[in-house]
Amino acid sequence: MNKWLALSLIILCWMAAGFAIFGFQQDQNRNDTPLPTQADRIISMAPNLTEILFALGLDDEIVGVTLGSDYPSATGKKTKVGTFWQPNIEAVIAAKPDLVITLGFDQQRNLAARLKRIGYNSLILDIEKVSELFEATKIIGAATGKQREANELVSDITTKLNKLSALVSTNGRVKVLWVVQREPLRVAGRDTFVNEMIELAGGENAIEPTMHKYPPIGAEQVIACKPDVIIEPAMDQKDPVGQQANALQYWSKFENVPAVMNKRIYVIAGDTVSRLGPRLYEGTETIAQCLRPELFAD
Amino acid sequence: MSGIIEVEHLSFGYTFQSTILKDISFEVKAGTFLAIVGPNGAGKTTLLNLLCGLLRPEAGSIRIDAARIKSYSVKELAQIIAVVRQEFVPVFDFTVTEVVSMARTPYLGTFGFESKTDREIVDEALKATDTAQFAPRSLGTLSGGERQRVFIARALAQNTPILLLDEPTSFLDLKHQVGIYDLLKAAQLEKGKTIVAVTHDINLAAQYCDVTLLLGGTELSHAAPQSQNATQARSNYRVGKTKDVFSPEQIEQVFGVRVFAGNVGQEKFFIPLGKFAKDIRQIDNKPAGCQPK
Amino acid sequence: MKELLTPRKLVIRVASAGLALVAVMLVCSLIGAESVSLKAAFYGAGAPGAVNPDYEIFVKVRLPRVILATIVGAALACSGVVFQALLRNPLADPYILGISSGAGLGTIIAVLSGFSWTLWGRSPIAVFAFVGALGTVWLVWFIGRLAGKLHVTGLLLAGVVVNAFFSAVIMFLISVAKSEKVHATIFWLMGNMIEEDFFALWIGGGCVLGGILALFNISPQLNALSFGEDDAKSIGVNTARTQTIAFAIAAFITAVAVSLSGLIGFVGLIVPHGVRLVFGPDHRQLFPLSSIMGAIFLVVADTLARTIVAPAQLPVGVVTAIVGGPFFLALLVKYSRKVSWLA
Repeated sequence: MNKWLALSLIILCWMAAGFAIFGFQQDQNRNDTPLPTQADRIISMAPNLTEILFALGLDDEIVGVTLGSDYPSATGKKTKVGTFWQPNIEAVIAAKPDLVITLGFDQQRNLAARLKRIGYNSLILDIEKVSELFEATKIIGAATGKQREANELVSDITTKLNKLSALVSTNGRVKVLWVVQREPLRVAGRDTFVNEMIELAGGENAIEPTMHKYPPIGAEQVIACKPDVIIEPAMDQKDPVGQQANALQYWSKFENVPAVMNKRIYVIAGDTVSRLGPRLYEGTETIAQCLRPELFAD
Repeated sequence: MSGIIEVEHLSFGYTFQSTILKDISFEVKAGTFLAIVGPNGAGKTTLLNLLCGLLRPEAGSIRIDAARIKSYSVKELAQIIAVVRQEFVPVFDFTVTEVVSMARTPYLGTFGFESKTDREIVDEALKATDTAQFAPRSLGTLSGGERQRVFIARALAQNTPILLLDEPTSFLDLKHQVGIYDLLKAAQLEKGKTIVAVTHDINLAAQYCDVTLLLGGTELSHAAPQSQNATQARSNYRVGKTKDVFSPEQIEQVFGVRVFAGNVGQEKFFIPLGKFAKDIRQIDNKPAGCQPK
Repeated sequence: MKELLTPRKLVIRVASAGLALVAVMLVCSLIGAESVSLKAAFYGAGAPGAVNPDYEIFVKVRLPRVILATIVGAALACSGVVFQALLRNPLADPYILGISSGAGLGTIIAVLSGFSWTLWGRSPIAVFAFVGALGTVWLVWFIGRLAGKLHVTGLLLAGVVVNAFFSAVIMFLISVAKSEKVHATIFWLMGNMIEEDFFALWIGGGCVLGGILALFNISPQLNALSFGEDDAKSIGVNTARTQTIAFAIAAFITAVAVSLSGLIGFVGLIVPHGVRLVFGPDHRQLFPLSSIMGAIFLVVADTLARTIVAPAQLPVGVVTAIVGGPFFLALLVKYSRKVSWLA
């Protein structure tokens, strides 16, 4: 039994030493460090954040973006720091940032936590709703010394959206089914920013409120909800005409659905409707053009 | 530690309904070579497993050197009894030296390494079983007979006063059968080991073993009259000097087969006679006459 | 090998392997998506506002990651040795008795329940994964014991049943969960190496080291167990005690590994075989050498995972499978005569 006793003692000493040397390592940085008011080297971990930064005129200060950040084209020259889902923390550090901006969902929150642990400040922003987009823009503005530009951007978008709403708020909303994935069939639910854009464009979601944000649905719900319009964001950015034809053919099997009967199936190219960012108005306008083509006939 | 086995009124069954062994008693003195013989299903292997402590008796007791088996720890028991079962190749292939050295596990030092004494004992065991030339080879590369010798070497290396073997020569050729029995006899005579071997081979048992336990034999007349009551029924067995236990009548009764018994010098032999055996006149043998304990 | 293992031989082998490990750790901590020079790193942290990126990356990202890979690799390899010995089955790996589905279930519950408190700075995912893994494997052990005397088969069957049941529960939970949370869980489960703080590394390392030393203590008994429980008892091994201790330690260090880095497969399966093929099946050698080889393997695999498709990263489990498989096949072909269960 002696060797077991000796072993236990050794381990106990090891653990005690660990506690002595490192302490409990509670997040010492738990106390919120005050937000910066000026940043010279900014890293954006999401495409919509990148767009906001450019829209605020911070192109020179941006030192790193993720691989998916493709708008505006100036992003092509920026250092890439991994992808949206798999950030490369080494690249982040190598870029010597003084401010890292991430989104609020778990994967990115983890990154922010890791960075905080090694001493880098991150700004975590939830951008799930339009109101959050505006708020995030203002927070970024405050943190980078661009409050004026931020306020201008927000009011600019708001004004344009209001004008659009006035234009399309005739009686009768158009029922829209927004399909994000074909197999298995997934649509955008009511608790999404897409839904907000649809409503701003004068439509309403054909699907009732659901538990999931992007619920999987079956064919019978497609028929039951009788959408006037079916919209799919484009799979890739090439050959929009081909994708449109493909979509028409795919949905033709739902012959009794109003959207199919009236051939009102649209494939919207571009990221303006996939990202909640400064091009919110462009995206909403595109949707409105699909819902009320007669209003935009010019 | 001298190696005395005392079995008193031993009973055992695998389930409540079946009882394989009932009220068996016998004693194995130190330095004896005991053969346990009997038909399939008589409980020979069960008895062996009881003797080495793997199974617990339902009734009765087993004492090793006057202390009940239960009172020994697994490690202590391993220093008194070594067991040899059917050879096989384990999933992970150890070398012969490693296998035989495992016998020294109860004696290993603090860090679990073999001492010089341990190595010497292992070497001796390898030499005694004529397996030293296989020492660096892995178990899977040997033949069945060679492997069985290795397992016996392991038991010898355990350096115990008692050796239990379960059909050690079942699948071996004549040369190896004899070789192993010679080895065991030498261990008994030169080292004073108590050896208990379960075997099917009554001729070899007759040749080598001084004492035999015949499981399934008839009861001879006792001091106490045989009771007709089922609850007092006991296993049919006979134990005693081999030459007394092995009578043609006994063998025929226990194994259910006719035998031809003969003598070559002092050695007895038995040849089973099946349906197609050519007609042979039987020589009369003395009736067996030994009391069970 | 041919001769019996002596303390001296063991020490020499372990020391050489240990040196190899240190060398590999050093080299791999200098390889990565960003180029880091050791000399520049030596200049220290640099002033705030003018941080030294070489130092930052080397000390805060690379080193912790390499050390983590060492700890997890050692734990998984050792655990693999134990399960192969206890189940007398060359196909056993650390996850065979329900640890993977247990950890997965714990993770999903942690993510879905939205707990945000931390235990000593450990995220709730890590804690729940640990508890899930350990709890499940004890459940399997308990069920297996209930199954009765045919111990090994009972354990395996219990493991299969529990794995199947928990996997179903996991799939159910995934289907009712919000999609972003699920995404995070899946990524975590695929095996991820991130920089832990040194406290976690120290404690985790201590647990694993203690486990390895304890397993070394019962190596002779595990050697004997290869011949079956009856045979081992005849040699004087307290089989129940040995099995329980080995099982408990293996379960514990695996749970620690899983809580630190998710589920990384292949290490626990092939490293023990590799070491056995070269050095033989004596557990006194297997434990120390498998730990070190497992550590080396995982450090190298992790380095590949973070450099092959830079700036993105592959999950480490992918690399261990892709690298491990062919390497093991080559080893097997070369030493095929030694392997009895192939014959």
